[in-house]
Amino acid sequence: MDLLPDRLAWYIAGPLMGLTVVGLYALANKPLGATTAYSQAFSFLRRQPFDPWRVSLFAGLVAGAFVAALLRGGLSWNLDYGKLGDLVPLAALVPLLLGAGFVMGYGARWSGGCTSGHGLRGTSSLSPASLAATGTFMATAVAVTALLNVVTGGDL
Amino acid sequence: MRAAAFFMGGAFGFLVAAARLNDYTVIHDMLRLQEPDVFLLMGSAVAVAAPLLLLLERRRWQTPFGGPLKVQRAPVTQRAVFGAAIFGTGWAVAGTCPVPALAMTVSGGGLGAVVTAGLFGGIALRDAIDRKKHIAPPAC
Repeated sequence: MDLLPDRLAWYIAGPLMGLTVVGLYALANKPLGATTAYSQAFSFLRRQPFDPWRVSLFAGLVAGAFVAALLRGGLSWNLDYGKLGDLVPLAALVPLLLGAGFVMGYGARWSGGCTSGHGLRGTSSLSPASLAATGTFMATAVAVTALLNVVTGGDL
Repeated sequence: MRAAAFFMGGAFGFLVAAARLNDYTVIHDMLRLQEPDVFLLMGSAVAVAAPLLLLLERRRWQTPFGGPLKVQRAPVTQRAVFGAAIFGTGWAVAGTCPVPALAMTVSGGGLGAVVTAGLFGGIALRDAIDRKKHIAPPAC
């Protein structure tokens, strides 16, 4: 059964996401961010010292997305990847996506945050580092996407 | 505190998936500047959160689980900007970022798991370099 709309409208999802940032600060005095949560979840998995609240945050992110998938009619196993999947054969797509994930993870950890930690939490706090980082990753991503479009002859 | 982190993370993860931010096409179209919805989503999140955080700070809000509220702010560093440029490059190729990649994975997308594995690896490498150089990574 499908209990969620196909796509929750931005004017509902956006403000509610803002409230989760405020909620974590207001309740626990902690900044919401995924990169450090990944880092601490990895420490937890390797049985090294970790921040318990960040591992809980990571578990929450996974659980929340899982509930949304269930409400959307359950899990549907697939290897879909939009236009990129149409363009690149699976044998090349797997290393490409592994590499892209690696680059993203390295960059986000170097920068001190990603789209959640810098893009939402940090800009909402008017943190200069986050405002600069968000402007930089937005501009870079738009430019690289445009470049990919040109290089692939408009296929991407 | 752990429960607060779990539930706020849960709500965030739920909303990411509900708004289809875990869909390559949605993010790719956003980055091709072909649809404004994700920009509007991020803008409206900040428009709601920023004034509320300022208000709580001004009222010297006492949080129930973490003492007096202190909103983190950091100065601009080369590290923040260069790292963001590298992150943006990976984001453009993968059409997904850390929370959406998790959401893609748990909704059954096998290639989301590949991106997630890469994210763990990249984050672990930077953590290892920082540990070796005795640098505290900037928390976000």
